[in-house]
Amino acid sequence: MYRRWLIPFATTLLLWSLVGQLNHYLAPYGAYLFVSGLLVTFAALRLSLRNGLAATLLTALAVDALEPVPFGTHFVLFGLMHVVLFHLRTRFPREELIFGVVVALLANLGLFLGLSFVTLGDPPASGAAWLRLFADLGWSQLFIVAVAPWFLALQQRALELGRVDLADESRRFF
Amino acid sequence: MPSNRFDQAKPFATLGIVVLGWLLLPVFVKVFLRVGFFELQAPVHATTSYVRDLQEYWADRAHSNNELVEAGRQLRHVYAGYEYQAQQMEAQRAEIARLEQLLRLPSNPDYRFEPARVARRDLSGWWQQLVIRKGANYDIPIGAPVVYSGGVVGRVREVHAYTAVVDLVTSPRVRLAATIEDDPRPVSYQGGLNPPLAPARGIVEFVPPDLVTYSSAPRRLVTSGLGGVFPAGLTIGYVSRLEASTDGLFQSGEVSLDPRLSELTEVTVLVPLSPD
Repeated sequence: MYRRWLIPFATTLLLWSLVGQLNHYLAPYGAYLFVSGLLVTFAALRLSLRNGLAATLLTALAVDALEPVPFGTHFVLFGLMHVVLFHLRTRFPREELIFGVVVALLANLGLFLGLSFVTLGDPPASGAAWLRLFADLGWSQLFIVAVAPWFLALQQRALELGRVDLADESRRFF
Repeated sequence: MPSNRFDQAKPFATLGIVVLGWLLLPVFVKVFLRVGFFELQAPVHATTSYVRDLQEYWADRAHSNNELVEAGRQLRHVYAGYEYQAQQMEAQRAEIARLEQLLRLPSNPDYRFEPARVARRDLSGWWQQLVIRKGANYDIPIGAPVVYSGGVVGRVREVHAYTAVVDLVTSPRVRLAATIEDDPRPVSYQGGLNPPLAPARGIVEFVPPDLVTYSSAPRRLVTSGLGGVFPAGLTIGYVSRLEASTDGLFQSGEVSLDPRLSELTEVTVLVPLSPD
């Protein structure tokens, strides 16, 4: 039973670590990748509410622990995004790859803006700060377009290898 | 109909209950969770840092013996110069101690130098921080200044079991008391100008109106020593442009920072020898 949330949590931790390494190498070039939308997408679209929300909230706590924000910021933002996607998912072809990529892009945009408004406060040069943020958002969205198909497929395959019936999991509400 | 609406509201109700539970959670539980999740990921940062060091080692091994001998020779020249400067510094320290004793002046704080490898750089538009590979296991205190060969790196913000998080001087969260070289009047430095695909800059404020700088001859901005965190005289950056602030009483301007700040691989933490 625990596999249903543990496997998605492990895969999101893997992506989070890989992107962290990418950001380490991109730092000298003044670029930063933000992929929080992709961390939430699969769990919100394909898992039941309990297992998906557990995986998402655990991921949020892992992200919160590393970043200089009040502990719980990503917890609330990720949880809210997850619930919104979960609420809307029955109206769309959520198992389609293209739809998954579009949802990841929109979720990433929403989380990016949410985090910016919560975190930025009153920067010393707000115009320059927002220019940097929008440039980072641009790189991040391009990165998600490139990586989302692979990552969503990875999560699906990981669950299949963990002998989780994804069709049954998708049909369940709670 | 009402049951449909309640079904539709269940995800939000569930989230509301979870968030309420989170808000009611005791602080010590949240602190424990934060530390736990950080330490869960710390081995990944440390391991990747060691792997990078190994890559550099094997890259150096690929150099020919002649290249390594030549590099060693150049380092010997640099080392000889530093050795002479270190001897001069020791003599000056002894003279300062003698004068402090003679005039009954309080001593300046002394530091232990703790070099540390950078395990992870996290330089976004919201924050600028490094994770270094030393922490409580080397008695690194919170708030300790961090420097490198070019001057100020930042300040230690968090200390964990074997890692520490440093707020970089380019971060909008970092404010320092500074002076412009050869002028004793205090000014304020704040990080936060981080343009995309370009070196970071900072902002200097409360500069006296009679101070003049030229882009062809920028003036060095150094730490003032006020506040007792950073020793005086450490380079922060260079001020090349000043303009009158809106109130007309002071000037403000941009500080050019060393591009090496965004590609640091090793820093030095100054650990105060006296606790206060």
